[in-house]
Amino acid sequence: MNGFRFRQTPPAAPIRFDEEKCVNCGRCMEACMIDVMLPGDKHPVAAYPDECWYCGCCVMECPTGAIRLHHPLMNQTRWVEKASLLKNNKE
Amino acid sequence: MEGSQWPYENRSGQVQSMEADVLVLGGGVAGCMAAYSAARQGKKVLLVEKGAAKRSGAGGSGCDHWESAATNPCSTVSPEELLKAMMDDNDGYNNAISHYIECREGWDALLDIERMGGKIRDTEDEFKGAAFRDDETKLMFAYDYKSRITLRIWGTTFKPAMEAACRKAGVQVVDRVMATSLLTEDGRAGARCIGATGVHTRTGEFYVFRAKAVIMAMSRPARVWLFSSGHPGLCEFRPLQCAGDGHAMGWRAGAEFNMMEKSVRAEFSAAGRSFPPYSTGNNHNTWYAASLIDATGREIPYADRDGRILKDVASRYQPVEGQDFFLKGGAITQAKYEIEGPETLPYEELQKQGYKLPFYADLSNLPELERKVIWGMMVGQEGKTQVPVYRHFTEAGFDPERHVLQCYGVGWTSAEFLPQERQLFGLPGGFMNDWDLMTNLPGLFVAGDALFASDCYGHAAATGSYAGRKAAAYAGKQAAFIEPCGDQIEQEKRRVYAPLTADPAQGASWKELNEAIAKAMQNYCGEQKRDELLLSGVELLERYEREIVPKAYAANPHELTRLLEVFDILTVAQVILQACLARRQSCGKLEFVRSDGDGAEPAPFICIRQEGGKVFRREVPLDYAGDVKANYEKHNRDYIEEKGAAV
Repeated sequence: MNGFRFRQTPPAAPIRFDEEKCVNCGRCMEACMIDVMLPGDKHPVAAYPDECWYCGCCVMECPTGAIRLHHPLMNQTRWVEKASLLKNNKE
Repeated sequence: MEGSQWPYENRSGQVQSMEADVLVLGGGVAGCMAAYSAARQGKKVLLVEKGAAKRSGAGGSGCDHWESAATNPCSTVSPEELLKAMMDDNDGYNNAISHYIECREGWDALLDIERMGGKIRDTEDEFKGAAFRDDETKLMFAYDYKSRITLRIWGTTFKPAMEAACRKAGVQVVDRVMATSLLTEDGRAGARCIGATGVHTRTGEFYVFRAKAVIMAMSRPARVWLFSSGHPGLCEFRPLQCAGDGHAMGWRAGAEFNMMEKSVRAEFSAAGRSFPPYSTGNNHNTWYAASLIDATGREIPYADRDGRILKDVASRYQPVEGQDFFLKGGAITQAKYEIEGPETLPYEELQKQGYKLPFYADLSNLPELERKVIWGMMVGQEGKTQVPVYRHFTEAGFDPERHVLQCYGVGWTSAEFLPQERQLFGLPGGFMNDWDLMTNLPGLFVAGDALFASDCYGHAAATGSYAGRKAAAYAGKQAAFIEPCGDQIEQEKRRVYAPLTADPAQGASWKELNEAIAKAMQNYCGEQKRDELLLSGVELLERYEREIVPKAYAANPHELTRLLEVFDILTVAQVILQACLARRQSCGKLEFVRSDGDGAEPAPFICIRQEGGKVFRREVPLDYAGDVKANYEKHNRDYIEEKGAAV
């Protein structure tokens, strides 16, 4: 074995579970309007992550705060301190 | 996951039969309100939803404002005045019936939602004393604080409350079943609608629903021009599963459609050029009326409709002297002068004056309650904003008193799209309706985004309630169920199941086919329309229908659902091409450009339907709804009496 393995290259990973917190109740999966998840041993599995609409309903349904919704990097928008813009203005 | 066993039971080929007085297709805002309203009339109701009705639909995760509540106790505008403004703003190319229902009954629907458990008032006095709050009713308003027709609402509480109320009212909710076809009397296109078929999205089980009346509440088409195989869920403004199945089913059954030639240059596609709505700096809808500043921190002025610079933040929420009200929101993109509200100066002017990109939304200088209501309430209650925007930005340290959020591009949509990148947005086409919200198929009613010229939460909820009432009354007049045509069911079963037994090595996946349709539509049905292009599009899509569809492959019921959606998108694309061919002149308000126009005046509404594969076209006057107040009252005597008695 060379240690490598094959996988499908994911364009994004919208739903991440905290295995410590997840009680595998399945509420997230049952609330998802797109049915992105399938049942799993430790927690539901995001089987169709590319279909996610990023609505956050799975997080809103989670009783233990075990899910993190993560926008693709390209969609993470930017903010700055207003003071830093005003400082630029003076220079 | 790759190669894993499917975790659900395989029930493909098995048939589940169900019946009800009223069958509601689609469990979003319109569908839930329709089901609830029909059940309250004492009818047996089935609600069929592809996802899970608790959170399904474009409004499932939330909504921050409710438009056109002209009959709320604080409104200064009558439903007739408001409807007139909405019609004039679109030169008549709008749905007078459904929007009058929205203006007249939207507030009633909102009160129903409050009784279900939705939060519509500032009961904790969080915003006591704010200019946008009525301290007596504790209602809060957006945009125009004088006319008070748009309410701020806590929409994340609505959908779960609606679903629970439906169940309590006796509605049988059938989740995870995709409706696939309408059943008609003797299986004929254009005949009375007597039920529907469906397929379970996890087990593949087939469903046959029989009903005395059917309500179509299955949203509007999407992914017709815009597709991304990497991020299909982010292609459009509305959720992935709102794909236009209802339109396609209706077309196959012979229903008539209006305004299907209308499409607009895309405004939202976070898979492509734009960002997730309301996650960027802007000053519209959720973010109205945030201050904008340029890259050097210089504030961008707001001006009134005559270009006079506004002196303070409070004026951004007031009509000008002599103006009764201004409109903003879902249906208003380029407001006409009569209803035009305050706006930041246009970009061309800002460029001349030396303002520098990028711009930022700056809440820091707003009065405290204005800041708090945008960042916290509006961003937080709007769909898709509570978790990924409000919660995550806050956790990452965003402080609206200190930080400013970048705007992308120069407009409010956070991106500029290409002319051929189009979308069904801003009052798009849909099912044609009469005063009962019934289609040309007897027994088939329509609500929400399935209607032509639809928009927004209040419209979906109000038309849902109304259609529920009307369908219940219709069902009450039918003596018995009509047995569906066996051939129609068998044919649909073959169509639905074919992809599960196709050859995976030969058959296109849903993604490959969707991408091909979107590319074809960009090529042949972009901004400029002409016959040669449109006919080439028709030819190509017919070839996909003939050669690609029969071989397409799905590995499991979930993939099958996605593939059946794309078959529906293919049908919708064909409907759009036919509607474009049927309109011979450019028409500004339909954003329809004919480069081979015949120079005549634009036609009024053009409605199309099919029978036996042949397309039929008819023109309908823009004022076909007649005197809206008189006609509404004629069609709703019982409702008016009931409401009067309740007061």
